[in-house]
Amino acid sequence: MRQIVLAALLLASTVAGASAAQGTLVLYTSQPNTDAQQTVDAFMAKNPGIKVDWVRDGTPKILAKLHAEIEAGQPQADVLLIADVVTMEGLKKEGRLLAYPEAKVEGIDAALYDKDKTYFSTKLITTGIVYNTKAPFTPTSWEDLKKPEAKGLIAMPSPLTSGAAMIHTVTLTGNLPEGWSYYGALAKNGAQASGGNGDVLKAVSGGDKLFGMIVDYMPIREKAKGAPVEFVFPKEGVSAVTEPVAILSTAKNQEAAKAFVDFLLSKDGQEVAAKMGYIPARADVALPAGYPDRSSIKVLDYDAAAALANDAQNKEKFSAVMSQ
Amino acid sequence: MASSENSTAALPRPGGFASPGPISGQHLSALAVLLVIAVLSLLPMARLVLAAIAPGGEADFAAFAGRLASPAALKAMWHTLDTAFFGALLALCLGTPFAVAVTMTDLPGRKILGFLLLLPLMIAPQVTALAWLHLFGPSSTLLGMLGLAPAPGTGNPMLGRGGIILLYGVQHAPIVFITMRAGLSRVPRDLVEAARSCGARPLGVLRTIVLPVVRPYVVAAAALAFVSGVGNFGIPALLGMPVNYLTLPTLIYQDLSSFGPGVLPQIAALSVLVGALALTGMVFQSLALRGAGHRIVAGTPAQFELGRLRMPLACAGWLVIGLILILPACALLATSLVPSFGVPLGPRTATIANYTEVLVRQASTVRAFRNSLLFAGGAALMLALGVIPMAVRLERFDKHWRRLLGGIVDLPYTIPGVVLAIACILLFLRPLPLIGSLYATASIILVAYAMRFLTLALKPVATAVGQIPRDLDEAAAVSGAGPFRRLRTITAPLAAPAAVAGGLLVFMSAFNELTVSALLWSSGKETLGVVLFSLEEAGLGTQAAAIAVSTIVVVIVLLLALDRFGRRLPAGVLPWR
Repeated sequence: MRQIVLAALLLASTVAGASAAQGTLVLYTSQPNTDAQQTVDAFMAKNPGIKVDWVRDGTPKILAKLHAEIEAGQPQADVLLIADVVTMEGLKKEGRLLAYPEAKVEGIDAALYDKDKTYFSTKLITTGIVYNTKAPFTPTSWEDLKKPEAKGLIAMPSPLTSGAAMIHTVTLTGNLPEGWSYYGALAKNGAQASGGNGDVLKAVSGGDKLFGMIVDYMPIREKAKGAPVEFVFPKEGVSAVTEPVAILSTAKNQEAAKAFVDFLLSKDGQEVAAKMGYIPARADVALPAGYPDRSSIKVLDYDAAAALANDAQNKEKFSAVMSQ
Repeated sequence: MASSENSTAALPRPGGFASPGPISGQHLSALAVLLVIAVLSLLPMARLVLAAIAPGGEADFAAFAGRLASPAALKAMWHTLDTAFFGALLALCLGTPFAVAVTMTDLPGRKILGFLLLLPLMIAPQVTALAWLHLFGPSSTLLGMLGLAPAPGTGNPMLGRGGIILLYGVQHAPIVFITMRAGLSRVPRDLVEAARSCGARPLGVLRTIVLPVVRPYVVAAAALAFVSGVGNFGIPALLGMPVNYLTLPTLIYQDLSSFGPGVLPQIAALSVLVGALALTGMVFQSLALRGAGHRIVAGTPAQFELGRLRMPLACAGWLVIGLILILPACALLATSLVPSFGVPLGPRTATIANYTEVLVRQASTVRAFRNSLLFAGGAALMLALGVIPMAVRLERFDKHWRRLLGGIVDLPYTIPGVVLAIACILLFLRPLPLIGSLYATASIILVAYAMRFLTLALKPVATAVGQIPRDLDEAAAVSGAGPFRRLRTITAPLAAPAAVAGGLLVFMSAFNELTVSALLWSSGKETLGVVLFSLEEAGLGTQAAAIAVSTIVVVIVLLLALDRFGRRLPAGVLPWR
């Protein structure tokens, strides 16, 4: 029934020759509930003819939903807004993404969107070190986590269940001089990888652990509410996930999907991201309160295509290294 | 149909199908039951097996066998069996004494104890696990008060196999309690009094008379606890994954975050393995139920006086409830009253900002409450009413058929919720004839819940129906009552305690259920579990705690309303009366 109505709407919109995008847009996202609602509300305010039906879940689960729909033969989503670029590379390799060469990417660093314009990063979510104010010392470098004073006191998200954590692992092992031995040293220092960023925050602010690897916005947001935590951008640099948006090749409402991508990359959309507490991708939008200057944040590079190809081996290597 | 039921040849015979007539009511009802079980339990499993063996349409048995025989899968399978078995044993040890105390003794405060023992089912397994982890960790307030808090950096004793078994026992004790309670409330007074008057001591009576009579309930309770342990995700996720102790559900969760087209067949294959484990539980059940069952006429339940042991046993009971329920609940409450996780609770830091944020400012929370109430309530009502005629018809099947069907009904409950959701997507995405597409509607969540929780309602009711004496039914049939009348006036009232128990189990499990609805919810139809988990993932633990506390309050209010309504029901129908 809904499909008949949708088809009628699309037909009406093309027959009427309307140039504005209309109808229903189906969005699958891994943003938290409140952020997704704010993003969608801001978009619908700027595009009154479009109604967004959105669903959120962690990236692995939302991808499982998408793949089940593909297996059943009728993928439902028009546009995806998920955590990391490696997952997008995977979808691009399967041929699931629609290229959007006319996307308005002025003001955004070319490294932040796909060269074939199939996906576009919308934010910069970096991973650094969080520490409890009762910690025995203030960490300034990734190597500080190997210190004996930090033994048994380190929490980190597990790359086995979180794509963002895997990107962090790949970035550190690719940029730190000792490579995978860094994680071996952490394992000897009693570090345990478990869960996601929310779990790390709980462990560190609750005092069960005193140091953690975590995304930037969480401790900055919670510190403002009074939590006993501080966030540090280590001096070697930080890894980043960039929350890319992409249009699916099977999208039923491509016009509305393109309008959504344009909104996210526009100054208005980027200011919404900053208001939610994230570092926006556009260089001309100010960072939210609690962050240092954009120029002082050093983002370390990694090879997304290699991360995708070596995912299974990296996971096995991580398990092996951490269970010593 | 009524006339064929009245002829003597159509009366139920022990074992096998009754035979008269070309197509009798017997055959039709048998077909109906088989159809319901096929759609609700066999269909999702069959679709999963198809996805495991023939992804994308091409059969690949070698890859399937390879996935099942991988060392990681075998190790996880062993861990699953191990923890589920001992967890069920511990749950039996915890739940049965409570059931006996509440039903058959004069323990002071037993009604409140019985009421409170239902509530741990309302606290999500992850929350229980986190509360216990916290309890034994360096920041534990309780241990801090006793001066026993471990230094930061020491390993937490709750992590690993021991902690998982302990928490399985704690988490599943209410399931055992509810099931045993339904059975114990039907042990008639005269049996017990006859034994007492011959000089038997209370423990001897329990051992030689009561427990043998309720043996089917013990087995049903143990079976439910076992399959709950096999399918449990939250506890091994928090206690096992950090130390790389994986069970099948957590292994499946890990595989979920891999890339590429191999993910779906991989998790489908592992889910087939989980289903196979659940069926082993069925084998244990058959072994335990060997020998004749007992059919008893219901009477007033028996009562023991505890004498000098009243106070010590009451204290022991409250201590256990304190550990299982009150500690995690207080931890939740304390968390919900601070502005951010880690801020110590004090008169200056306490705030209700979390409650106003989630209940007033976020429209999704109120929507989620409404949706969860509708879905859980709808599923509970449908299942509690629907399983009574199902159990009546099933009871006339051959013993082996009954065991097999019981095992099949267990399957959607044991496989991880996310996998059942995927099976539902594969089955219901395309439009069905006449009904259209169920996908992205409320109906798909209801159907998924019916599939998942059927066993929770069927087991207690099937046990109850199996204990109703046949002569009641036969006498009514001879007097001219048709099958529906007999169902309504004889079977249903006698099976009512078990049906209410089953309905409550379904409601409690479905109300804050997460994994199934996570993949099936669509715009505007989010459930409480989805909203809560989203807040946890976003690092907003205090807001998640506020929702969890509100959920418990809502359920307590509902149970109190049920209690008010239940004053007019006979004793034993509500688990705490």
